[in-house]
Amino acid sequence: MIVCVAVVGHQNNPLYIQSFTEADDALKLHHIVHCSLDVVDERVNNPKKSGPMLNETFLGLLYPTDNYKVYGYLTNTKVKFILVTTDLDVRDADVRNFFRKFHTAYVDAVSNPFHVPGKKITSRIFAERVSTIVKSFGLNSAG
Amino acid sequence: MVREVSESCVDSLLTEMVTSYCNRFYANKPELAARRIEAIGYQVGHQLSERYTMERPRFSDHLEAIKFICKDFWSELFKKQIDNLKTNHRGTFVLQDNKFRWLAHMSIDPSVDNGNSVEDNSAITAENKAAQAMSMHLYFPCGIIRGALSNLGIPCAVSADISNLPACSFVVRIKA
Repeated sequence: MIVCVAVVGHQNNPLYIQSFTEADDALKLHHIVHCSLDVVDERVNNPKKSGPMLNETFLGLLYPTDNYKVYGYLTNTKVKFILVTTDLDVRDADVRNFFRKFHTAYVDAVSNPFHVPGKKITSRIFAERVSTIVKSFGLNSAG
Repeated sequence: MVREVSESCVDSLLTEMVTSYCNRFYANKPELAARRIEAIGYQVGHQLSERYTMERPRFSDHLEAIKFICKDFWSELFKKQIDNLKTNHRGTFVLQDNKFRWLAHMSIDPSVDNGNSVEDNSAITAENKAAQAMSMHLYFPCGIIRGALSNLGIPCAVSADISNLPACSFVVRIKA
């Protein structure tokens, strides 16, 4: 289950952060996202250690903790997407698929002429789309 | 999903935007009108680059990003690529489009042709005026290029050159 997703701008400013848990642990999840930003920077600046393909947008597993796995994605425009999940056996293809859908939703949101670049995404439609994507995560893993 | 836009509508919108800003909002301040038009282009380029770079790996250097502008970005906007790219390898790039679409339907005021033989002076000023009006239409595409590159992490200044029409050159100077 995905517990938290975040969009972080190129100056590490939060653009959108949303947790999907019942419990009151938003602060802990935000902390995890915050820590993962350093890992993203490290991956980008030392590309030899990074995943299978150089300069790929998908950064793969950033770091595993006891209860969570954190995945990252960095767009061409230096916007970072962070995904925190409690599933411990996640397939890479599922995560890639998630980020692709998430990226599409993000692009649609920032293409809104009323959105101010660099400011938080307040679109209700974006929030709804994100929660749909989050809910569908891993469901159609057979397909 | 492919969405299409009528070309004539875009043409008319662009023309109308330029006339509104030049003749109505900032009639006596052409520099201010130019800045406003460029700013609109900047936002458009900013958003378009977000969309068009979606399915591709990140660029490793400036040249790669410029090449993206010349090939994929230009194809998306104008259904053709930039015809000629020159660089001095020190941060200046010249992108030449031999038949720039947004200038293709523009014609110089016919009075220029008539007046040419009669009175040379007025012809020159009319031609000047036409060139000035035309350059107003180029702030928008300049803004688009600047917005796209800035969003890709390359701050730059873009200017346009129309010394040999209908070819149009965009000069990109990357700020160090």
